[in-house]
Amino acid sequence: MTATQERHTDAAATRTINLIQAVTETIAEEMERDSRVVLFGEDVGARGGVFMATAGLQERFGPRRVFDTPLSEASIVGAAVGMAVRGLRPIAEIQFADYMGPGFDQIISQAAKIRYRSGGQFTAPLVIRTPSGGGVKGGHHHSQSPESYYTHTPGLKVVMPSTPYDAKGLLRSAVRGEDPVIFFEPKRLYRASKGEVPAHDYVVKFGEAAVRREGTDLSLIGYGGVMPDLEKAADALAAEGVSVEVIDLRSLVPWDKDRVLASVEKTGRAVLVSEAPRISNFMGEVAYVIQEQVFDSLLAPVGQVAGFDTPYPYVQDKVYLPGANRIVAACVRALNY
Amino acid sequence: MIQPFTPEPIRFVAEDGTPVQPLPERFTPALLRELHALMLRAREFDRKLITLLRQGRTTFYAQSSGMEATQVGLARSIRVGHDWVWPYYRDHTLGLAMGVPMAELLSQCLGTNSDPSRGRQMPHHFAAQAQNFVSISSSIASQVPPAAGNAMAQKYLGVDEITVCTFGDGATSEGDWHAGLNMAGAAKAPAMFVCENNQWAISTSIREQTASETIHIKAKAYGMPGYYVDGNDIVAVMEVCAQVAGQIRAGEGPALVECLTYRVGSHSNADADAEKHYRTREEVEEWLGRDPITRVEKLLEKLGHPVSAEERADLIAQTHREVDEQVLKAEATGQPDWRIIFEDVYADLPGHLRDQEAFLRAEQTAQAGQGGRA
Repeated sequence: MTATQERHTDAAATRTINLIQAVTETIAEEMERDSRVVLFGEDVGARGGVFMATAGLQERFGPRRVFDTPLSEASIVGAAVGMAVRGLRPIAEIQFADYMGPGFDQIISQAAKIRYRSGGQFTAPLVIRTPSGGGVKGGHHHSQSPESYYTHTPGLKVVMPSTPYDAKGLLRSAVRGEDPVIFFEPKRLYRASKGEVPAHDYVVKFGEAAVRREGTDLSLIGYGGVMPDLEKAADALAAEGVSVEVIDLRSLVPWDKDRVLASVEKTGRAVLVSEAPRISNFMGEVAYVIQEQVFDSLLAPVGQVAGFDTPYPYVQDKVYLPGANRIVAACVRALNY
Repeated sequence: MIQPFTPEPIRFVAEDGTPVQPLPERFTPALLRELHALMLRAREFDRKLITLLRQGRTTFYAQSSGMEATQVGLARSIRVGHDWVWPYYRDHTLGLAMGVPMAELLSQCLGTNSDPSRGRQMPHHFAAQAQNFVSISSSIASQVPPAAGNAMAQKYLGVDEITVCTFGDGATSEGDWHAGLNMAGAAKAPAMFVCENNQWAISTSIREQTASETIHIKAKAYGMPGYYVDGNDIVAVMEVCAQVAGQIRAGEGPALVECLTYRVGSHSNADADAEKHYRTREEVEEWLGRDPITRVEKLLEKLGHPVSAEERADLIAQTHREVDEQVLKAEATGQPDWRIIFEDVYADLPGHLRDQEAFLRAEQTAQAGQGGRA
């Protein structure tokens, strides 16, 4: 889907909301649509979640369908697996992506594998939603970007929206799909990312990147919380006469190889941006595929801007994150190669 | 009514076959004979699987010899195909007694095309949809939180099913175990947690595993009743599990049942000589004296309905014949081909797996063109 396709001309049928509203609305709509959908986690009920992503849902759907759980990620994820196997459509909230550790075994041993190991006799279509990423002064237990751990586990789908439109469309796909989905929500964009969403029911399919702006000199590729920085960097470069194509991957597993490769073939340069630590960063896979498949089109080595290979720092929060300046610098290196 | 938290394991039949309390009416000689036959069948299945291992036709097996009363008793106290079971890796006797076809179990152990799990799991890790017998996971206790969730879903759906979750004593040390029991307790979910306490987690004894006097008392911490049962007394296991299942089905919330038993064999073929490394021959001999199958035979004898040597030999021969036949049938279906690598990872094959499948297809085609050489 391109930026153009996502612009909606029928103003009456669209509204401008922020990303967290998109999440809340979509959960409500899916619960309305399908009585098998249940929502649970720590503090998601009366409190409405620490970010208020589930505000009002318990009031609306009752404590049977929206409920608080014991403070245990292993329980939350594990219970979601069992519920899904028994025929429900659980949406589990993990309060912060940083806290998924205790649920890790449940994600990788149970959720990801039950279809495969049972020969399809049992499946676990579930959604684990979790706020992730930095930029909110959270220190290392409230700011990490652990998506690469999950992209490394076959059987999981891993997505991260950066706009309200995508949050709605991807979350619908997640809830309606047949596979376990890890749905990362870039918390610093919860209220910062605003945009139009259509009133009608639509989905964003996994594995379809969005071209946020078209360009001819360089492909700037990212996902999640860094997307506004990619846009700022593209603006700065445009002011210098550089035409940058900005791509939002939207989903990492599966990821839109065709869109990325077509873009790099056109521009000859790629800079990949993610705020996760660099070693074994998912973007390393994207870089590998680019050099493997369109090496002859490359005019410069594939650039990568990532977080540092350190725990996430509290005080130097903004310095740690790959902001527009660092992205521009990487683009300039590629352009001057 | 059976009481929880008894200091001693609940039993109905002493080791010499004498009833220590009146047997519930339904335990007629006919039923006892049926249970005896199921246990004997499972034990002979064990023996045959060891033979298959020695023949190199399978690569892993974890015997349940000595634990037949626990698993058969449990199987016969629930509604098969209605209730749901999240088992652990030593539960093939439970599966057999629940009616999972021997052919399926053998196919899984042999990794043939007739394996419903399609040869993806190591031997002895089966799944059976018809019995709601959920796929066995090797990671210890990781089935416990999903079992809690399964039970929560049953409560949500308003069905009168229960969920049964089994595990060994070692599993009770894992975080997932505590998380799962706590979750089920807080949710008042219809789950029966059954500890098949065979007293050894590979080479770690129950005394090294926990400072708790017993496993069942841990139930107190999760707000559920805990029952302590002689796991080698099939009458006790079946009676307690059936009553507990009934209570759970009636909406009384989850329960923990500890069946005190013993695996007389090694953990698996990977530690075939357990006595040499971590336990004494005396201990094994002592538990052989409490054998669950012999106990029922002695009971039947005292009741005036003995199992004759001939009947016993017939049962054994029949099981051996059945295993032999089913092994040949399973092997005749061949091994699943390379395509099973990519199927069932996701509901549909995503692009990156399509690419990898195409790569492997080309490689396999090329090899076939070279006469199958790698």
